[in-house]
Amino acid sequence: MLTRWYSVGLAIGLWWLISLLLPGNLFPNPWDTAVTLVDNIKDGAIWADLAITLVRVIGGLALGALIGMPVGVWMGLSRRVENWLDAWIMIGMSIPSLCYALVCFIVLGLNEFATIVAIGLTAAPSIAINLWEGVKNIDMRLVSMARVFDASSWQVMRRVIAPQVMPYVMASVRFGLGVVWKITVFIELIGRPNGVGFKLYYWYQLADMRQVLAWTVVFTIVMLGIELLIFKPVERRLFSWRPGVQL
Amino acid sequence: MTEVAFAVRNLSKTFAPRGEGGTPRTVIDGLNLTIRKQEFICILGPSGCGKSSFLNILSGLDPDYDGELEVNGNKIQHGRLPLQIGYLFQEPRLLPWLTAEANVDFVLMASAKPQERWAELKDKYFALAGLEGFRNHYPHQMSGGMCQRLALVRALCVEPEILLMDEPFSGLDELTGRRMRMDLVDIWRKTGKTIIFVTHNSYEATFLADRILVMSKGQVQKEIVIDVPRPRDYDHPSMFEANRDVLRSFLKIAEDAAAF
Repeated sequence: MLTRWYSVGLAIGLWWLISLLLPGNLFPNPWDTAVTLVDNIKDGAIWADLAITLVRVIGGLALGALIGMPVGVWMGLSRRVENWLDAWIMIGMSIPSLCYALVCFIVLGLNEFATIVAIGLTAAPSIAINLWEGVKNIDMRLVSMARVFDASSWQVMRRVIAPQVMPYVMASVRFGLGVVWKITVFIELIGRPNGVGFKLYYWYQLADMRQVLAWTVVFTIVMLGIELLIFKPVERRLFSWRPGVQL
Repeated sequence: MTEVAFAVRNLSKTFAPRGEGGTPRTVIDGLNLTIRKQEFICILGPSGCGKSSFLNILSGLDPDYDGELEVNGNKIQHGRLPLQIGYLFQEPRLLPWLTAEANVDFVLMASAKPQERWAELKDKYFALAGLEGFRNHYPHQMSGGMCQRLALVRALCVEPEILLMDEPFSGLDELTGRRMRMDLVDIWRKTGKTIIFVTHNSYEATFLADRILVMSKGQVQKEIVIDVPRPRDYDHPSMFEANRDVLRSFLKIAEDAAAF
């Protein structure tokens, strides 16, 4: 745990070093950035943009899961579906998220709905892949054990299948989140009048690098917070039974 | 004489051809047998003789067969024996995310044992298998032999009328396997279960069984009654002698099958 703090400290130190080599208006140092960040927070305007970005992230992730999870489960269950959709997944993963965004904005208009659809479509294939893998890896020997002991379909589902698929669901959501928040900022930059991505671009155009870095930091902190305060504890609870990996 | 536990009449199992141009494969071909209550039966046969398919039919994993099962005069033509079944697989098949005790709770719940009896059943069978100290252990914290013991506790806790075992000790080292065989006989003598034990190890069959059914080509080719009195000594000359006869029949039948 202590090592982790040292590591964060080292990263900030490196940032400082680099800022010493570059002019302050091009690459501000951590202190100036922090001051700007605190001013933004005092000012209060930051919350609206942060909130709308988070809504897009969560909406996009939910839509991606809504499409990706059933597709992944279906592919894991049926060889035929797998053969059919395999290529779709590959294509879906290869298309740049910029293309999804542009097509959605043209077809659906420059609105919130188009934004979330574009984010969801970008995230869906990677979520599907994780679930596909998870369902394929279900240990059928445990399922037949449960059936021999008269377990009902519901009991098999809840007690034997769900615990096996759960790690893959978690992985897909985390992986999906990693994909989604980067796209969201990007899509805000090209087609939204608010949000963290819009603000980054706005300050970039005004050549205010302090603000650019301040917004980057605040967004990173929020995402790390989600990871540390939501995902880690959930994971620890779900997988406490697992043996620790020892090398 | 003792009561009949169940009977099998003219049982056949044919697998549909795999892919185009394949031929259907008959693994059980008109099997007849009668199992008595509290009997320890070993089914001995080379791999591919249909012994695992037979257990799959009895346990209901495979409801698709010809012929019938009969329990107390009831004839069953599709589906499993209408008896409470306990099953011991070749591997323990424990749920790795549950503790030893929770693994047992799972089957107690699945087989709808009234909850007020759970504690009593678990106390009894954990003690019988010598696993009292391991109730809160996860499967990955226990050795292979202990996991198989736990699987036995799980099978016994549902109070099975019949216990099916599919080569349960073949994955264990010789020393552990030997201990388990002796303990299984003890537990069987204390609980009086009807056991059908599938194996390809003739010495194991000889040590355990009242009756060995040598199976090949989907039929019982020979029935051998082991009349070595119990308790049996694993290393007694009478065991080696009995095994010699069993092994001879087994080899002859396996060779005949291979010649086909």
